[in-house]
Amino acid sequence: MLENYLPILVFVVLGILFGVGPIVVGYLLGPQKPDDEKLSPYECGFEAFEDARMKFDVRFYLVAILFIIFDLEIAFLFPWAVVLDEIGTFGLVSMAVFLALLVVGFIYEWRKGALEWE
Amino acid sequence: MTFEVPNLAPALPEIVLLTLTSFLLIADTVWSKRCAHCTYWATQITLLVVGWLIVSSFTTQTVVTFDGSFVRDTLADVLKLFIVATSIGIFLFSREYLLQQRSYHGEFFVLGLYGVLGMFVMVSAYNLITLYLGLEIMSLALYAMIAMQRDSQKASEAAMKYFVLGALATGMMLYGMSMLYGATGTLELPKIAQVIASGHADQAVLAFSLVFIVIGLAFKLGAVPFHMWVPDVYHGAPTAMTLYLASAPKIAAFAMLYRLLWDGLQLALPDWQGMLIILSVLSLIVGTVIAVVQTNLKRLLAYSGISHMGFVLMGVAAGDAEGFAAAMFYIIIYAITSVAAFGMIIALARMGHEFDEIEDFKGLNQRNPWLAAMMLFIMFSMAGIPPFIGFWVKLAVIEAAVNAGLLWLAIVAVITAVIGAFYYLRVVKVMYFDTVEESKPAEPITRELGFAVSVVSGLLLILGLFPSWILDLCYRSLGVTVVG
Amino acid sequence: MSFEQLVFYAFAGISSLAALMMITVRNPVKAALWLVLTFISAAGVWLLAESEFLGLVLILVYVGAVMVLFLFVVMMLDINLAEMKEGFAQYAPVGALVALVVFGLIYLVVGPEHFGLDKTGLPVTHGPDYSNTKEIAVPLYTQHAYAFVLAAVLLLVGIVAAIALTLRRRGPRDALYQDIDAQVRVRAEDRLTMVKMAPEVEPDVSSKNEEEEGAK
Repeated sequence: MLENYLPILVFVVLGILFGVGPIVVGYLLGPQKPDDEKLSPYECGFEAFEDARMKFDVRFYLVAILFIIFDLEIAFLFPWAVVLDEIGTFGLVSMAVFLALLVVGFIYEWRKGALEWE
Repeated sequence: MTFEVPNLAPALPEIVLLTLTSFLLIADTVWSKRCAHCTYWATQITLLVVGWLIVSSFTTQTVVTFDGSFVRDTLADVLKLFIVATSIGIFLFSREYLLQQRSYHGEFFVLGLYGVLGMFVMVSAYNLITLYLGLEIMSLALYAMIAMQRDSQKASEAAMKYFVLGALATGMMLYGMSMLYGATGTLELPKIAQVIASGHADQAVLAFSLVFIVIGLAFKLGAVPFHMWVPDVYHGAPTAMTLYLASAPKIAAFAMLYRLLWDGLQLALPDWQGMLIILSVLSLIVGTVIAVVQTNLKRLLAYSGISHMGFVLMGVAAGDAEGFAAAMFYIIIYAITSVAAFGMIIALARMGHEFDEIEDFKGLNQRNPWLAAMMLFIMFSMAGIPPFIGFWVKLAVIEAAVNAGLLWLAIVAVITAVIGAFYYLRVVKVMYFDTVEESKPAEPITRELGFAVSVVSGLLLILGLFPSWILDLCYRSLGVTVVG
Repeated sequence: MSFEQLVFYAFAGISSLAALMMITVRNPVKAALWLVLTFISAAGVWLLAESEFLGLVLILVYVGAVMVLFLFVVMMLDINLAEMKEGFAQYAPVGALVALVVFGLIYLVVGPEHFGLDKTGLPVTHGPDYSNTKEIAVPLYTQHAYAFVLAAVLLLVGIVAAIALTLRRRGPRDALYQDIDAQVRVRAEDRLTMVKMAPEVEPDVSSKNEEEEGAK
């Protein structure tokens, strides 16, 4: 079975080489004369005013968590599609129940206005 | 491939509960504007319907369906009925409390119902996956319900602690379960028992998995030394949530204990008995001793709850069906007593004043003699003073321990029960013999709530006068023939 | 060492190293990125164990979705973890000791003595037609249909909990924004009220005029 994944491994290795290679080459070949001023962060020539990070709205979190839930639902759909002809009507119905429950969740979040930004 | 379509009939209560709750979830978005109380009433009707379904199809056989992942036996039916009954009480009290605190949301009831569904799944679980899923559904609903009062810092802190420690405990348990699967090669509890009986299971791996499983269970029950979350969560959570947390989930946790340790790991008894005895002794001593110095009633009840869990674990540690029956009797009564005790706090609470300090109960007899008498009932029952039901449960558990040859454990239990009586009686003393300078009135929020508290507290006395039927029920659901 | 073993050790090594970096690095965003690397290499290990579906789901769900959530949370909190971790190092010896003991215990139980190849036998290798996805899927939707539906309930409770905890109706003061519709629909009479007033007559108009004229 594993031989099927050899091309992917080759891709992974090539990807790493292409990603890491130029950085290493640049590091080795480029001239490096670091000093304090060059390394310090600046904004438009001024000293940095504050930390680059700032507080996020909690709504991003809600969007992300709702995304995860439906992402998981998709993850369950893939194997179901693969074996649909083997699991018969019962498998079809069990997926229908699964989806129905998540549709209930979807209706709930829609009606609650969780899908609206403002 | 051979696969038979499973028989859905035994799971009908769960299916109906799930359907109605999901309907309620959507309906609540419509009702929340026009008819806020509809959600509450629909919740109670749902519970009544489910309770009726269980009663009408009450079974004395063991029915297994869904390819061995679901079991329905007398134990399951009895425990589910008590879960439904306590939940009805919980929602009754919670509603008034939430209205009073202006944090009434339909989601509270919907999540509560999903929690009940999770408990049902736990009670009826016959393989490790469903057991775990039931536990997760229940826990997730509980975490969310505690955190729902977002503006209260204490509630958020309580939810955070409960969530982090609960997740840790679940992780431990899951690790133990995976190990158990590694040792036996099956997920189904009866098959696990078979593999252990056949001697093919690796003893070391089995013992190791048991350690993790027992730790996870002890966390969920709040037994010492895994009790750290209990007082803070009970104290910090809104009282309505504490009420929920301290009653119905305990029944479900007992079911989990029974399914794992008895249905699955009965033959590993020598491995788990010792651990449970240690947990039991520590819970009895630590819970009782620390409760003595508490000034907050919710914290006091939390520590007393820990020592009550010690009693339950003592029954389980007896390691026979009689011990499990006694523990079951104990936990059911503990759930009912919790409803009464936290219900009392809810009934007297006001917006901005929780009425959860022992000081608040000072001179309650002058201010409201009837409620003082009810509180007396609750405290006497918790202390185990006859003729209240609390006496009979303690007696049953101690008897089971003595019969199993754990005499010294029984002696520890009796000593802690005597020490425990001290702090319960202190509350009684504060109510009856301390006087307050300015006599603030202590009326229940509504008349109905005062009535409900009286009914539940009165039940402690009535059950105490006629304890045999409920004990019989426990014995029979565990297949113990009653002697004498 | 066969080629497979080589790949295994590469993935396992990267995985352990990335996990170590994840817990020691100071910047929480970097820690999240190290965690991504841990997940990806763990997915590689799973692929080698011929459970390719689980490996791909690990990437799809954890790397794709859960890590996004982690990053949001890290950004949302805006806390300086480096500050919180001050004094953390003093617990390092105790932590190391506990970790060592736990490792020793787990090694004793899960190690070669109980799960060695002589106990479990060599893992069966499958031909190119073998599909792990199928092996998982058939029991999942039939024998374990009950657990499968319960998973949906768990997700549903997750939706309700997330919304109940984070969704807050915004008051008019929380976010200030233009309501263009209302702005366009506004009419003069909504804003401006014409008040009829009696004309105010100054008594000595004529004399004033005369003074002005005189000044000119």
